[in-house]
Amino acid sequence: MSYKPDESALMAYLYGELQGDEKRSVEKYLAENPQAMTELQGMMDVRKILSVIEDKEVIAPPIVMEDSRQRFLWNTPYLKTVISIAASIMLLLVAGKILDLRISFEGNSAQISFGAPAAKTDNPVQQGLTAQQVQDMINQSVQNNNQVVQASWSESQKKIDASIRQNMAMNSEKFNELVKKASTASEAQISGYVASLKNENQQMVKDYFKLTTSEQQKYIESLLVDFAKYMNQQRTSDLEAIQLRMASMEQNTTALKEETEQILTSIISNNTTAPGNTGTKSY
Amino acid sequence: MTETLLDIAMMHSDTLITRAKQGDKNAQGKLVQLWYKRIYNFSYKFFLDHDLAMEAAQKTFISMCRNIEGLQDIARFKSWIYKIAVNYCREEARKTKNSKSISMDKIYNVEAEESPQWENSSARSDNPEKYYQHTELSDILQKSLMELSAEQREVVIMKEFEGLKFREIAEVLNISENTVKSRMYYGLDGLKKILERKNITKETIHYEL
Repeated sequence: MSYKPDESALMAYLYGELQGDEKRSVEKYLAENPQAMTELQGMMDVRKILSVIEDKEVIAPPIVMEDSRQRFLWNTPYLKTVISIAASIMLLLVAGKILDLRISFEGNSAQISFGAPAAKTDNPVQQGLTAQQVQDMINQSVQNNNQVVQASWSESQKKIDASIRQNMAMNSEKFNELVKKASTASEAQISGYVASLKNENQQMVKDYFKLTTSEQQKYIESLLVDFAKYMNQQRTSDLEAIQLRMASMEQNTTALKEETEQILTSIISNNTTAPGNTGTKSY
Repeated sequence: MTETLLDIAMMHSDTLITRAKQGDKNAQGKLVQLWYKRIYNFSYKFFLDHDLAMEAAQKTFISMCRNIEGLQDIARFKSWIYKIAVNYCREEARKTKNSKSISMDKIYNVEAEESPQWENSSARSDNPEKYYQHTELSDILQKSLMELSAEQREVVIMKEFEGLKFREIAEVLNISENTVKSRMYYGLDGLKKILERKNITKETIHYEL
């Protein structure tokens, strides 16, 4: 019973924005307090009555957007330019003030100066010249100038012409020569080149053959010499071997001779002494 | 409050708001179309005057188009736009209070009360008498609303007719949620007394309808 919802809790409950325990406790309180319940019921009725009011139909005016945008565009750039112009003028004025700029017009002269204007005596103007004289002087100088300019111009033009002509002549000559050379030279060059090629080839072949024949001759010669030497050696060695054999044969024959002689002598001796004793003696 | 197509469109206008925020003039125009009816009706109930309501609504949308790029939280668009609307409504109210002149409409409205608005009744032409009674009752109720103080009226309109949450109303008016609820309480309480004085009850409505 101690719980009593305040106005805000009741409102939250009325609009269904209360949840959980709070909602339950408010419901409990309302169930226990019929007076509070009727009060809330009255408010619900007010809500119901108010729901009779319906929205008025209205069409959004399209000018809203355009209007706002136009005004937005109209204002800023003009304001900006005006302010910038004013600011630059201010700047000029301030700069002039600081630098103490003075501009004065006196008679025929305009004078712009920073600080106090310079004394007039500083630049004495030549007096005593009339307008006619000045005009004449100007005319004369202009004429002179014109003449000089014309003279120099014509001279330079002549020079340029001459140089151009010279160049052209030289160039054409050179060109002709070159063309001629090129045309005549080409055939002769080719034939010459071919001939030289032939000659070279011939020479090369000749040389090659020469070289190879001489080499071959040398080689064969050396081969023959070597063969002869070999043959000689072989012959001498053969001869030596024959001699050696012959010597050994001689030795053998002499040995045989001696043996036969010995045998013969022994046989002769035996035959001469006793024929019965021959057997025992030979042992 | 039954949901119309417009209400559904308003609930799903996040992408539209995002595009409007990026400077898309087309999206801004669509936002104006979407919200104009709501803002106008809010101002109309606040002033009970068509011209003042139009004035405030237009100013609100001009301001919306200019400042939407600075809107930080898209989810708060609703409270943001009502905030602008409330400010312009207060400004207009101050102006009219200072000028102390009676607008021509108010003079004409006296006559308008006596002569039924037949020209507007095309929507309910099936039963003109019922419609007449209905609009008459609606007028009486709106006048009762005008008897509330401006502070209570703002809260009651935003809560009852615009369907804002108490949290959103607190955001709009820059006051605490409890203050909003208490203003609502006294607003409803006041309305109850005014209606009782005018002899309007739930039963009379049902009878008249």
